[in-house]
This record gives sequence, C-alpha cells and structure tokens, in this order.
Amino acid sequence: MAVSTKAPKARQLSDLARQEERTAWWLLFPSLLLLFLIGIYPLAQVFYLSTTNKRFASSQPTEFIGFANYRDLLSMTVRELPVQLDEAGQPVIEDGKKQYESWVRVLPREPLRYRAAFEFGFFGKRYVIGAVNADFIKSVWDTIVFTVVAVALETLIGLIIALALSRKFFGRSVMRTAMLVPWAIITVVSSLIWEWMFKSNRSGFFNALFDRLGWGDGNTVFLVNPALQMPSIIAIDVWKTAPFMALLLLAGLATIPRELYEAAEVDGANKIRKFFSITLPLLLPTMAVALVFRTLDSLRVFDLFQVVFGERRYSMATFAQFTLVSNKDMGLSAAASVIIFIILFIFAIIYMRSLKVDA
Amino acid sequence: MKKVFLALAAAILAFASAQEINYITGNRGSDVDYATRKAQEYMADHPGVTINVIQGPESATDRAQQYLQFFEAQSGEVDLFEIDVIWPGDMAEHLVNLYDYAGYNEAAPDFFPAIVANNTVDGRLVGIPYFTDAGLLYYRQDLLDKYSLSVPTTWDELTAAAQTIQDGERAEGNPDFWGFVWQGNAYEGLTCDALEWVASNGGGEIVEVQEDGSKLITINNENAIAALEKAASWVGTISPNGVTGYQEEDAREVWQSGNAAFMRNWPYAYSLGNGEDSAVAGKFGVAALPMGSGEGARNAGTLGGWQLAVSKYSANPEVAADFALFLTNHENQLDNAITRSLLPTRTAVYEDQALLDSGSAFMAEFLPVFQGAVARPSTATAPNYLQASQYFFSAVHSVLTGEEDAETALALLELDLESLTGFPTAQ
Repeated sequence: MAVSTKAPKARQLSDLARQEERTAWWLLFPSLLLLFLIGIYPLAQVFYLSTTNKRFASSQPTEFIGFANYRDLLSMTVRELPVQLDEAGQPVIEDGKKQYESWVRVLPREPLRYRAAFEFGFFGKRYVIGAVNADFIKSVWDTIVFTVVAVALETLIGLIIALALSRKFFGRSVMRTAMLVPWAIITVVSSLIWEWMFKSNRSGFFNALFDRLGWGDGNTVFLVNPALQMPSIIAIDVWKTAPFMALLLLAGLATIPRELYEAAEVDGANKIRKFFSITLPLLLPTMAVALVFRTLDSLRVFDLFQVVFGERRYSMATFAQFTLVSNKDMGLSAAASVIIFIILFIFAIIYMRSLKVDA
Repeated sequence: MKKVFLALAAAILAFASAQEINYITGNRGSDVDYATRKAQEYMADHPGVTINVIQGPESATDRAQQYLQFFEAQSGEVDLFEIDVIWPGDMAEHLVNLYDYAGYNEAAPDFFPAIVANNTVDGRLVGIPYFTDAGLLYYRQDLLDKYSLSVPTTWDELTAAAQTIQDGERAEGNPDFWGFVWQGNAYEGLTCDALEWVASNGGGEIVEVQEDGSKLITINNENAIAALEKAASWVGTISPNGVTGYQEEDAREVWQSGNAAFMRNWPYAYSLGNGEDSAVAGKFGVAALPMGSGEGARNAGTLGGWQLAVSKYSANPEVAADFALFLTNHENQLDNAITRSLLPTRTAVYEDQALLDSGSAFMAEFLPVFQGAVARPSTATAPNYLQASQYFFSAVHSVLTGEEDAETALALLELDLESLTGFPTAQ
C-alpha cells in the first residue's frame, strides 16, 4: 500500500523536478554558451593549432604535424660533462677549479639538436641539461622560480604590512591609501621606473646608492648580469604586489572576531601565541585565495619581463609572444600556450587540494 | 536644365571612378601631418582620388604585428604601408611587384642600389625606398683636438684614441667618462652594430646571396671571430660594462651629457646632439664607422630606413603605387629632408642646392656612408629573419658578456642558422 501510494508521488515529483531541471538548463544556456564561446572554443582552437605547422600571415599551406611541436618544446636530456684533460692526461685546473668540456661535444645533434639549458654540479660531477628548445625550458624554469620566490616574499611582506595597518593609530587611513600606490601604477610604467633605478651607471638609483656606500664600482649591470637578473625582477614584482597582498589580508583580518582575542587574553595567551593560534588559522582561507590569485598571475607574467628583459630572458608568456609575433611560428606558439595552460592548471589544482579553497 | 543634367552626369561619372585608398603611416606628430599634407597635394592634382591617412602604432614591432594581422586576414583595408628595411623579405608574398606599375622601371635606378636590392625579392620590387638610415661614428672634435688625435679610420685607432681620451678625462676628475658607447643589448640593434664590426673586418654579412642566387651561411670565419673578440675587449675597458644592456637612447644619454668620446648611433642623434639641452652641441662631428684590419676590410654602416609598399589585397593598387611614387619623387624627398630631417633615398637629392642651403645640409656629408651601407640579411633569410637575427644577437651578446668565446659562439650560430634556413655553410 505504502509502495503504491509512494510510486506515483515520486513520479509526480520527478516530473516536476525534470521540468524544473529543463527550465534550469534553459536559464543556464546563455552562460554556458558564453563559456563555450569565450572559454572552450578558443582553447580547443589553440590546441588544434598546436598540432599544426601553421605560420602567422603566410600562404605556406598548413599541415597537421601531430605532437611534433610538443616534442620540440619538451625534449630534454641530461648528460655528464667530462673533465677537461691536458696533453699529459691530467685534469685542467684554473683558479683552483676543475675545468669541464663544453656541452657542445656532449649533447646529441641527431635527429634533434640539443642546446644547453642548465649546468649543475652533483656529487663532484658536472652535468648539463640539454633541451631542443633551450629558451622555452629556461623560460619555464625562470617563471616558476620567479613565481615561487616572489609570491612567498609578497605574502610575508603583505602580512607584515596588513598586521601593522590593522592596528589603530593616527593617520591609518592615509597609510592604507598610500600603501596602494605601487599597486595602482600601471605595470609597464612601474617597470620602466625600476629599469631606470637599475641603470648600469651612476645615474641609476641603486648604482648611485651602492657607490656612496662603497659597494661595487658604480657600474653594476643589474639587468644583464644573469646572476642579478632574477633578484632584480623579483624585487620589482614584490614592490608592486605586496600592497595587493596586504589589502586582501587586511580584509581577512577584519573578519576575525575581537572576542577571540579577549578570551585568549583572559586565558593569559601572549602575542605570539595569539598570532599562531587565532590570527594565522583564521586568516588562512583569505590567504589561500590571495595565493591562488597571485600565483596564477605570476605564472602568466608578461609585461614586467617584456619591459625589463625584452629578448634577453623570457618568461613563459613572453616566449609564446616572441614565437608568434617575431618568429611567426603559430603552431609552436600555440603548443607553448597549451603547456602554459597545463602548468597553470596543475598549480590551481594543487592549491585547491592543499588549501581546500572550494570548501 | 541641361547644365544640371551635365553636372549630375559628371558627378555620377566621378563617383563611378572615385578611387579611395588607405595609407598607414607612423605615429609621431610629424608623420601624420606630413602624410596628410602630401595626400592633399596629390588629391588636388588627381580629382576622384581619396586618400585616407591612418595613424599606425609607434614601435616598429607593434607596426609589424598590425600589418601581419591585416595580411593574415588577407584584408584590403589598408592599401599603402610604410615598412621597415628588414620586412620586405618576410612580407613579400602580401605585396605587389611595383615593377608592374607605371613609372617604377624608370625611377628605380635613381635610388640607392643597396636599398633597391634589399627590397627586391625574387626579382620583384616589393617596396620603394622612402627614407634611409645607416650607422655612423660620432666623435668629439674638441677632445680629439685636446689630445692631438685625428678622427679614427680603423677600429684599432678608435680603441687607442678612446683609451687615451678616457684616461685623460678621468685623470682630470670625471670618473663617469667613457671612451666609446654603442648598442650592446640583446636586441635587433645589436645585430646592426655587430654586422658593422663583422662586415668592416672582411667577415661577410652573416648570410649572403651568391651570384647565382643561391644562399650561403658565411658567419663562421676568422675575420668575424676577430671582429667579435675586439668588440668584447671594449666591454669594461673603453666601454662601460653596462653597454651590454644599452640601446640607442642609453648610448645617446651618455654621449649627450658629455661623458663619451665616441658613439656609434643612427643619424637621428645628430640634430638632437646639437639641441639646446645638449652638453656636446657644436663640439662633435660624424664620420663613417671605422674599418677593421682583416682581408677585405671596408667601411660598413648597417642600413636602416623605411619603404613604401602596396598590399596585394588592395582594390586600387594602381592608385596606391602612383601615390607611393609621388611621395618618393625628388621634390617630396627634398621636402621630407628639409622639414623632417629624414634622409633621402635618391642620390640626386643630396646634391640639390636647396638641401645644401638648408638646416639639413649635414646630410650631404653622409652620402658616401649611405652608399656603402650594408643590409642585414633579412631578404636572404626570409621568412625566418627575426629568428636568424635573434640567434645572431644572442650569440654576439654571449661573447660580449664573456659567457662564450667568439669561436664557439660562431660555430654554434652556424649550426643554428643551418637548421633554421637549410642553407649550406661556406668552407
């Protein structure tokens, strides 16, 4: 009996539900269409392009070449560099360091030619990482190093600024506004300003300053010397985006109830204890959102690298742009873009999983 | 009534034959004003023709990007383009052969042969030289006099003179003084500078077109290696370490504040150097760049400048071609030289008394330099020039910064160019 009465009721409900579902789909249709048009279709198009040898603005017929572009971008190998031997068969030593043969003799040339991307020492031996497209592999590495270091520093400095500005003091609102100035300046403009500050003679701020302090000869080449390039560009990015971090974290701090601190004080907790037991855990969700924002932003960095380094050193995005515009290799550029997309996707998933952003 | 009818008929005829072209120019104020003025002059003589002047983006890279987008879409939206001296090879397939249009066969021999050759792709003239540019040596006459030196004609002389002046000026209390400034950043400008060192030392022109039309990679040779080693020896001695990050404006800044004895730059720095805010106004001269000591050494300034080209997708290519010829005729090149200091591409203009009497008379001094100018291998390596150039300037840059020795860098460059272009190497 119960079954017979329940069944029609369930069917009735499901009819209604189905009808509602249908309406829902219709209501969702415009946004789905939009998502398809501006999200999925271009992505599919780029993926399709990445499997061809299409050249930009060329009448050369486009052919399907499978994953050859990906092979060219991603092929890597590791080889040990032999020690340079003199005529007597003894290792050549200069400045107390063993000299190694050039990578040119070690990396394969057929069927694909490998170029040196990095060299590193490991357990007293020296190795070279070769890549068919060394510029791309270097751009991926540089972008990831840039992202990890810059975002970590920004978070730390942003947190310090946010904690300072969350206290009540005279002129707080002025300070909060002033803090945002670096963030408000267009990146291209601030990159140029920093480029001038890093100028390679004493008309540049840093060279003038270091010269006064007696460091260096006033001719330090910050933006060309490979060892100084990354620290310089990270400094610019941290200066620019730490305020953004601070702003987001400040908003997070404002949501923490005062009572918790009062209760902690009653229990006799000191400042450090309060920070680690109340502030940090409650700030974590906000921080996670801020981190996702900044990480994905940094991985896509374009303007900063373009202005400061041009073609001296690439980020993933400037590499893709160079390949497309200057080199007109649309297929290769599309493949690079797909790889950038996948790297971004992996980072996004790691964040989602480890910080439970969706919860 | 009859008059009205005739007027109407004339109007209809005029409308039917109305020809409209779009001409894209640069972005500087004078570009648009000048182009508009010339368009009006042309339209006054050619009723029924309408020329719309479009303002293009400022940087050359942005302009190339925009043009390529028009070409990619096979759009006839723009009929007449201004193109950089390194683009004819890359863009040739989208441009008409100007020899097919009235007046070009007769006019072509009056232009600098090196530029015409640069703009000729497989026998097709794809661009008519509009104005030109070439690398020059700027020297401080007052300092040469002070140290009893003459204008250097070889790189060795330049190195020695730069060192003498630098030592002297520093001893007199200017620690920021340098002997020689140039463009050493890893960018297209370094391709220009390095091509000058190599070509002037008898090291060839990177990739060369042989007499039979075949192409040969010639960069890996003794003279080229010697030229790069010489340039690398300047960094940190007569040139600042920072020169490896210099572009044109960085060099001009040091020069114009009076902190350099010599500078390699383009002609644009001439009038700026004599400007009111310049510390070197009236104290400097220009000469052809020095030559090297290798076999086949010669003076070599890299060729720059812009061309006018007509789109293959244009609906009115005859009009566009005729207007381009008008813009590059003797009178208009003279006008361009006098009012805008842009260097003519017709030899005869340099001898015109009107030019010699004007503020642009200095151009006449440059004539031999422009005639001997060396073109970048953009046409030979098309459509891969920008990649070839990037390989070249990266290799040179690694030599300048000491990351690689010249011999290895050029051997690797040769391999890179080989796999890029498929051309054989000289040996």
